Amino acid sequence: MKPNLAIDFMGIKLKNPVLTASGTFGYGYELADLIPLNMLGAIVTKTITLEPKLGNLQPRIAEVSSGLLNTIGLQNIGAKAFIKEPLENLSKVGIPIIVSVAGSCVKEYVQTAEILSAQDAISAIELNLSCPNLRKEIVCHDFPLTDEVIKSVKKVSKVPVIAKLSPLVTDIAELALCAQNAGADGVTLANTYPAMAIDVKTFKYKLSTVKGGLSGGCVKPMSVRCVYDAYQNIDIPIVGCGGIETGEDALEFILAGARVVSVGSASLVSPTRLIRIIYEMEEILKEKKIKNIKEVVGMLNTVKNAC
Amino acid sequence: MCTLKRFDRTCEIISNKEICTNYFELKIKAGNIAKYCLPGQFFMIGIPGVFLRRPISVYDSKKNVLSFLYKVVGKGTAILSRMCSGQLQVLGPLGKGYDLEICKELNYVIVAGGTGIASLHFLAIKLGKNKAKKRTLYYGARSKKDLLCLDKFKEIGWKVVVSTEDGSKGYKGYITDILEEKVKDSDVLFACGPMPMLKKVVQIAKEKKIKGFVSLEEKMACGVGNCQGCAVNINKVIKMTCKDGPVFEIEEVEL
Repeated sequence: MKPNLAIDFMGIKLKNPVLTASGTFGYGYELADLIPLNMLGAIVTKTITLEPKLGNLQPRIAEVSSGLLNTIGLQNIGAKAFIKEPLENLSKVGIPIIVSVAGSCVKEYVQTAEILSAQDAISAIELNLSCPNLRKEIVCHDFPLTDEVIKSVKKVSKVPVIAKLSPLVTDIAELALCAQNAGADGVTLANTYPAMAIDVKTFKYKLSTVKGGLSGGCVKPMSVRCVYDAYQNIDIPIVGCGGIETGEDALEFILAGARVVSVGSASLVSPTRLIRIIYEMEEILKEKKIKNIKEVVGMLNTVKNAC
Repeated sequence: MCTLKRFDRTCEIISNKEICTNYFELKIKAGNIAKYCLPGQFFMIGIPGVFLRRPISVYDSKKNVLSFLYKVVGKGTAILSRMCSGQLQVLGPLGKGYDLEICKELNYVIVAGGTGIASLHFLAIKLGKNKAKKRTLYYGARSKKDLLCLDKFKEIGWKVVVSTEDGSKGYKGYITDILEEKVKDSDVLFACGPMPMLKKVVQIAKEKKIKGFVSLEEKMACGVGNCQGCAVNINKVIKMTCKDGPVFEIEEVEL
């Protein structure tokens, strides 16, 4: 029998736990001709800010062993324009839409989340508290600021709020707990890893901003560890993210404690991988005679700290 | 001209031959994909052993066979060049190609630098054998051994002017030096090559008020506009080379 992949995530019903990762799937509808979008669990859009952003200078991407460095700089058309066209197209897909949101200060996070969460087509907000490519400090490296952003957004948001966290902290479990205590309904673990590369042929940095965010297969074990540690400390659901390329990778995150997963760099390489991951998960569960994906969430992670 | 239809598919390698030192022509069995390709469009080609797919322009598309002409420049293309059989993951055709409908009354001028010749070769084939038109290829390369497919252009009736940086064939210097002298406002330009060459082509075209198109090259991760890695500043507006280009109208670009 076909295993049941449907899962409840923060009160949102998903047909399977495979999501796109913010910043890797555009506004979410552009690849409708290449893959059946309605087969996905949910779509997470690229990060939207209050005003349009031009993004960073070239070069913005650099390939490294088993991964990718990027410094896009949150290029986007701004909240108002997003509601007009992309959201309209997205709402026709027929699956939950999660919009990634960032701001340059608390007020901007709040305003953007307020505008977007009022849209019927949006099921949840993911707060990007961890973009490594802005000149400012990464929000979630500052616990009181993280607390303030989440609390303030929660006050105005009409939909569940997920906090996307940076893996580059001393104690990810403590940061996840901070997000939970501030009222987050879920956390995404983890964003890209601050990293850099130098071209020795030209003696130049490979990215315009020198440093960028590292993603792809090479970060997977580190992100699985983040999920594992955080799961022991929090009760809110986790979106596992980092280097997922196959169904096996996705299940690794889920066994460690993620309720759902988001796929980023792998879908940049091949959009159809998003769909293949769903089939591969089904196959593995079938082989293991597991009827429902819910049974394996955090299955191996039996340590639960008091929280 | 835009993509008619895109595919993310596995294709069989037919052949992958070194046509001259370091330059390879890859042929794949592409089935119905081949008929949707327009000159200037490209494919993202998956290469085992490197993380990202590589953007490579269509060199030719006949019946069910797609050809790509590429130079070995790094790890990815080196691995690709050693693959003689097997399968490749391809995503495409992608991007905006050259506009074939524009300026039917004008004479065709192609300006190619290095491997930029690949997409222009496909263009020349698609422009057809209209004898009423003058058709000239201006082609610059490092040296004689870097000049590719000259015979193919001659076969379909193009006048060929070449330059080499070391003077081993044709004019010694840059192809844009000759272009500047020869090009007229009754011409329409199609150019593809390294950025310094394109900058000069755009400058010449604007000074002489000549219409035309340039095809840009950028590092790409996804090829479909989602990662926004290949941003380019076109008249103070940020565009994506992969999706809004790679072919842009000369009038609209400032390089």
